[in-house]
Order: sequence, then C-alpha cells, then structure tokens
Amino acid sequence: MGARRQTYIAYGLLAPAFLLVAGLIVYPLYMVLETSLRVGRAPNVARLDRLPLGFGNYWRALTDDVVWHSAGVTVVYAVGTIAPAFLIGLLLALLLNRDFPGRRWLRSLMLLPWAVPGVVAAIAFLWMFDSSYGVVNAQLRKVGLATTDIAWFVHGDTALFAVILPTIWKCFPFFALTLLAALQSVPQTLYEAARVDGASPFQIFRNVTWPGIRGAAALAIVLQGLWVVKDFDLVFATTGGGPSRATQTLSLLVYEEAFQFFRMGQAAAIGVLMLILCACLAYLAMRWGRKDFH
Amino acid sequence: MPVPVWRPYILLATALACLVIVLFPFYWIIITSILPTEILLSRNPPLLPPLGEVTFAAYFEVFARKPLLIWISNSMLITAGTLAITISTGAMAGYSLSRFRTKAQQAMGFGLLASKMLPGSLIIIPFFILFSKAGLIESKLGVILANSATAVPFATWLLKGFFDAIPRELEQAAMIDGCNEWQAFRHIVLPLAAPGLAAASAYIAIVTWADLVFARTLNSKPENWVVTVGLQSFTGEYLVEWGALMAASAVSLLPMLVLFLLLEPFLVKGSTQGSLAN
Repeated sequence: MGARRQTYIAYGLLAPAFLLVAGLIVYPLYMVLETSLRVGRAPNVARLDRLPLGFGNYWRALTDDVVWHSAGVTVVYAVGTIAPAFLIGLLLALLLNRDFPGRRWLRSLMLLPWAVPGVVAAIAFLWMFDSSYGVVNAQLRKVGLATTDIAWFVHGDTALFAVILPTIWKCFPFFALTLLAALQSVPQTLYEAARVDGASPFQIFRNVTWPGIRGAAALAIVLQGLWVVKDFDLVFATTGGGPSRATQTLSLLVYEEAFQFFRMGQAAAIGVLMLILCACLAYLAMRWGRKDFH
Repeated sequence: MPVPVWRPYILLATALACLVIVLFPFYWIIITSILPTEILLSRNPPLLPPLGEVTFAAYFEVFARKPLLIWISNSMLITAGTLAITISTGAMAGYSLSRFRTKAQQAMGFGLLASKMLPGSLIIIPFFILFSKAGLIESKLGVILANSATAVPFATWLLKGFFDAIPRELEQAAMIDGCNEWQAFRHIVLPLAAPGLAAASAYIAIVTWADLVFARTLNSKPENWVVTVGLQSFTGEYLVEWGALMAASAVSLLPMLVLFLLLEPFLVKGSTQGSLAN
C-alpha cells in the first residue's frame, strides 16, 4: 500500500464533504460579501449584479438608528436568555450529578425542550401567555398578581421579556447537558480532599467544581450565545419583530431588509457587521474561558 | 459522615418539581388539543382537564381542514434527504480526517466555525439568489441543500470524534485478512461507529425538522410547505383556532420527541465529543 494511494484515498473520502462546504458555505459567504457592496434595491435577484458597487450599504447601516436599535435588542435578548438559562442549566446539572433513584429518566425528560422546534415552542408560549385565555394570566389573576389582562407578546414593554421566556426554555437543556458532562469529569478525589480539609459546600464549589467546569461553561456560553443571536424562528413566530420593532433582533432585521423590502445589499451589509461582532465576542469569551485553565 | 437515608428522596422530589415546570408547556399543548373550544376560551382554564369533556375532535378537524399530512410528508422527505447527504459525506470525511493527515483539516475546521456563526436569515440571501438562478425555488432539493450546508461540517467533526476512538489495529488486521480499505471501513469501522451515526442523525434530524427560515423563503406555495411553516401560518389568521393548532403541534412534535428519548444517551456522548472539535 503506497503513500500515493493513501493520499488518493484520504482526499477522495474528503472530496464530497469538501465540495458541499465550498459550494454551500464558502461561496455563499463570498456572495454575501459581494452583495453587501451592491447599492440599491433589486426586486429581481437575477439583476442584482447590475447594481453599482460601493460601501454605501455599510455607511447607511452604521448611521441608521434602526440598526442600532436592533443591535441593542439583540444584546438584551442574548444576555437576557443566556444568563438565566446558564444558571438554570448549572443548577440542574448539579442536581442531576447527585445520586438518586430515576435519575437517568429524569435527565432525559428534563432535556426534552431542546428537541422542540422553535416554531412549536413559540406557539405554545403564545397560547400560554395569551392575554384573555392564557393559563399564565389566569393563574396570576387567581393569586392576585394581575388585575388587568397582560398582553405579554403584544405590548411593547413586555414583548421582549415574553420572547425571552421560550428561548430560555429551549436553551437551558444544552447548558445542563454540557455542564453535567463536565461535572462528571471532575475527579472525585479532589472533592474528598476538600472535605477532609473541612471546606464548606460553597468553598468546594468555588475552588473545586467551578475551575473544573469553567472551560466547558465558556464554550457552552459561546455556542448558545451564537445560537441565540442567530435565532430567527422563536422571534419570528411569536412577534415577528413587533410591536413597532420592540423585539426586532438583527437576525430579523436582515431578513426583513432582504425579503420584505428586497434591499439585498443593505441586508447583507448588516449581516456582515453582525458576523464581525459575533466573531469578536466569541474570541473574547473563549480567551476568558481558557484563562488559568489547566 | 454517613449520608442520611432520606437524602436521595429529597433530591428526587426536587427533581420532580423541576420536571413539572419544565414539561408544563408539553402538558398544556396536549390539554389544549383534547378540550372543546368552550372550555379553552374561558377566563379560567382548568389546570386539570375535566375528563368527561375530553375529545379528539381537534385532531380530526385539523387533518381534514389543513394539508397537515402533506406538510409532514414534506418535512419527512426533506429531513431524510438532508440526512442522506450529510451522514454519507460526513462519515467519509470524518473517517479521512481521523485516519490521514491532510492539508484539508483546517479548511473543514473553518467550515465548522462558519456554520456555527452564520445566521440562517443571512445565508438564505445567497441561497435564494443561487437557487433562483438554478431553478431550485419551490423544490425540496433546494431546502435539502440549504439544511445540509451547516450539517455537513457538524457531522464530519462529530463522526471524526467517534472514529478517533476506534483503534486503527482493527482495520489493519482486517486488511491483513484480505479486505481492501473500503471493505475494512464498511464492515469493521462503520458498525463500530454506529452510536456516532445515531447521534449525528438524531441531531441533524431535530435541527432540520425545526427549520423555518429556509423552507419558508425557498418554498412559498402551501403544497410545498413543511410542517413548521404550516404551523406558523396558523398564527397569522384572524381567529386562531388554538385547539386545532395544538393538535397539529402535538402531531409534529411526536416524531422528534420519540427520536430524542431513544437516542438521548448517544446525544450526550456526542455533544461532548462534538464540542471538543472546536
């Protein structure tokens, strides 16, 4: 078996996946960049390449209040989802890491929301938080916390909060799953040593558990953070970005520019700016995760 | 320090309490789908269903009034097509990356990174332009290709992790016994990587089944919709029929929930290995 033959096999096996990545990621990415330089509207996408080239879209995007507003909404949406989802995931992982009967089945069931399509999660929460007939308002009325019908998804003040809830619901299982796997890889001897030294449960968590799962936590936060920033389904199916842009994340703004107003160039430019921002944040977060990680 | 006997039961009780909250939306979907409209549209919906009122009318109604079967079969075809493309190419590429040193490693790494970063609502722009020119609008192939874009690098890296765990000596022994490389891969390595194939398939199926942005942008005719697009169209109606909508939601959820519960142990293993690839 010659080295030449080995090389042929190696590249032959890679070729189909490679072609797909080249054709479905790399070339489209190049097209996004090119489109972002096409200034103007093109209801017929076949004529897009007749538009003049220039940086006008980037200039417009950076000076447009709507874009900055959407960037703000995206940040609130992402942080408002990730922080509670991480906390819930961590607490569940700590719980499921203990030994008790039925743990295996409880874990499976607890992670179930992850498998729910965003649209279905959106619809379920729309109904549960319906202003007149929703179960949530009914319970709030019953215990006296609400006197009026709260229109969770319709009112500008509550809409973003209402969209965040199903996102947390869909998001926390991933944290629970990855943090549980990380917890199980922390050596038991470290816990025993800490206990022998008389450490309190909080001290054990801070000095043994947390350093052991910090890298996995950072990675999970980055991956889920990107997922939330990219999300389209949940926001689109609950509010569609409304009322009056109160929940319009960048992801929805890009889609609206492209497929409602047919400003493909403008949409692509906003998307490219969004990608650059995501890449920077992901890089910083990963560096933080690796810091003093042995 | 002896562990108190009741400790596991306190933990179990806590876990069950969490479970009730976590699963409540599922419960409410089911409850809504089996109760008549008069009860649903009350100011004070009962938390426990009055058993005498239970009816499956909403299920019959939604199948009769909406092309739900067509949407589900579209979803199934698109999911199956995406799986066929991504698992076959991903398995070959993952095996190559695991066994041979090539210069393509970094290129595939970039593919994975890009697939984690690219929002669907952005990458759909070039897909829409390309597929418009190629005549892939209103076709299942276009949606399959769009879904495959991010799934191929994912499958490749996930499966590479599983192949790495299989000792090379097994293939070498098989080749000494007269197998060629393909036979060794097909008959020795692939069966051993079955948990990995299951994990990758389950993950990709769940993600593809959930897709909204590709399917709704590339296919606008109702007979080409997938189930998520169909469900979403309910909410735009003037009067939302919640019973029927929840019945349709429950039907669309069922295959993925079954898949998840069956393959969850593999997914746990896969999620840790898949993240190492970064």
